[in-house]
Amino acid sequence: MATKTIRVDSLARVEGEGALSLRISGGRVESAELRIVEPPRFFEAFLRGRDYRETPDIVARICGICPAAYQMSAVHAIENAFGARVEGPLRALRRLLYCGEWIESHALHVVMLHAPDYLGFPDAVSLAHKYPDRVRDGLALKKAGNAIMRLLGGREVHPVNVCPGGFYRVPDRAELVPLARELEEACELAAGLVRWVAAFPFPEFERDYEFVALRHPGEYPFNEGRLVSNRGLDIDISDYESEFEERQVPHSTALHSMLKRRGSYLTGPLARYALNFDRLPPAVQALAEEAGLGPVCRNPFKSIVVRALEIAFACEEALRIVSEYAPPNASTVPVAPRAATGFGCTEAPRGICWHRYDFEADGAIEAARIVPPTAQNQPSIEADLAEVASQLLNEPDETIRDRCEQMIRNYDPCISCATHFLKLSIER
Amino acid sequence: MKYPAAAAKTSTRILIAVFGNRDRGDDGVGVLVLKGLAGRLPENVAVLECRGDTFSLLNVWDDFDMLICVDACVASGKLGRIHRIESAAQVLPFDLGPASSHTAGLAEVIALGQALTAAPPRIVVYAIEGVCFDVGAAPASEVVAAAAETVERIVAEIAKSDPGPEMGRDVVVTSRNEHQ
Repeated sequence: MATKTIRVDSLARVEGEGALSLRISGGRVESAELRIVEPPRFFEAFLRGRDYRETPDIVARICGICPAAYQMSAVHAIENAFGARVEGPLRALRRLLYCGEWIESHALHVVMLHAPDYLGFPDAVSLAHKYPDRVRDGLALKKAGNAIMRLLGGREVHPVNVCPGGFYRVPDRAELVPLARELEEACELAAGLVRWVAAFPFPEFERDYEFVALRHPGEYPFNEGRLVSNRGLDIDISDYESEFEERQVPHSTALHSMLKRRGSYLTGPLARYALNFDRLPPAVQALAEEAGLGPVCRNPFKSIVVRALEIAFACEEALRIVSEYAPPNASTVPVAPRAATGFGCTEAPRGICWHRYDFEADGAIEAARIVPPTAQNQPSIEADLAEVASQLLNEPDETIRDRCEQMIRNYDPCISCATHFLKLSIER
Repeated sequence: MKYPAAAAKTSTRILIAVFGNRDRGDDGVGVLVLKGLAGRLPENVAVLECRGDTFSLLNVWDDFDMLICVDACVASGKLGRIHRIESAAQVLPFDLGPASSHTAGLAEVIALGQALTAAPPRIVVYAIEGVCFDVGAAPASEVVAAAAETVERIVAEIAKSDPGPEMGRDVVVTSRNEHQ
């Protein structure tokens, strides 16, 4: 029986180091394995014994593109453990910070990393020669996201202004005025981006995913909500460990997250969109309709459209928060440590970012557990790859390799966060 | 971000951008150069310490006629060797590209800026070979010496390009937070 291996030794335009191995035998895909080769980073171990107040700045270092996600999950877990509740303008500012992170992260991925796949370019520089205005728009969106991060986080990368109970410093109204002007322009650019990517050629491909995302009673989710799925999951975030587990696999240094009873699942833009379409503002819903999307999208290659829609949402939401903002009386609410366990789960650009911390009475961290979105999506990535490769068995290795790389970029994987990622080998 | 109007009308507007992490051994050579240039730049020269998002360079370089970049590069033979690359005459090798997909490398950002016809007309890159980029490591003595030599070469290069109206003042084009 003929066996063939196709190997991708270096996957471009994703974060981190790893490899993909496809084994094709007897005319079918026998296995698709993401071989994660990055060493563990031991953040959960670093956190042991540290004071709870250090947590936001330590976990921010897990990722350079979504540090606010780690900070938000951490501060929510701390406040959950210590019985504190952040409301009003401080809560709104947290949503605004998250808007900034989504805008800059999604804009980078949509325009600079993913769009070249659909238009036949090897990279963003080549794309810029043909579509300079689109690249300029993408950079302008990223700049708007960065402006929010800089204002609220103190700086764009690894923000330093987030603390349990709120922020070290909050802006006054005047500081938000230039932001409002930039966001008004960003809303227009985002709508144009949606229309542009919606016209890309998309492979015919769908999978029947179990989508998992936060769902809030009244908002498209950033910081809070219950964990829900399209197959009946509906739990408090503190029950995460009763429904989900992480498994070791021989080919990866990264753990694979699975639903205990049903296996792989998908988190991130497609899941958020499918489970929270009714929470999007009417203007964004109309934009989705114009882009040809229904309330559920199961084609992962169209995740680029959903990401663009989420940029449009984040711009509109940020503008709303800025226009309604009235500075709080204090930049934090009181947070008093006690011996307790706390849970936090927020929606990073790539999906749910779940944290649990056990604290001693003085607020020292006894144990920490952090489950990043890319670790959760790994089994789903492998299932997608097996499926997409099975449709291309008679194609040259180069075609399979290119489509597989594009498939992986559908997830905008952050390998460093997950301690993970990429190179492709196809065996047949 | 505005350049001083008086200088803008009379002089070549020059931006010096340094890259690297001062806490990672030889990677901090750009910051060493920045320190060496303190007090030695004419008013028509601004400096930017670029820490983190390299794309931010695209947002600030519009107002300048010339960009001088200083960064560490992986050693290909001699620790502390200084490479001077004039982008109009030489193509920056893309293997000087990014270590992360979260941002772009210097070569990519320059190529992107040129593709968008937004880059300053003249770009000079000083790349200094380093070996140890470990967290907490000190820069090698060869790299420290190379930083000092680079300072002199940049000062001479600026004087040759356009002496500017006034020596001894630095215009820092950066936000407070980029220096944290």
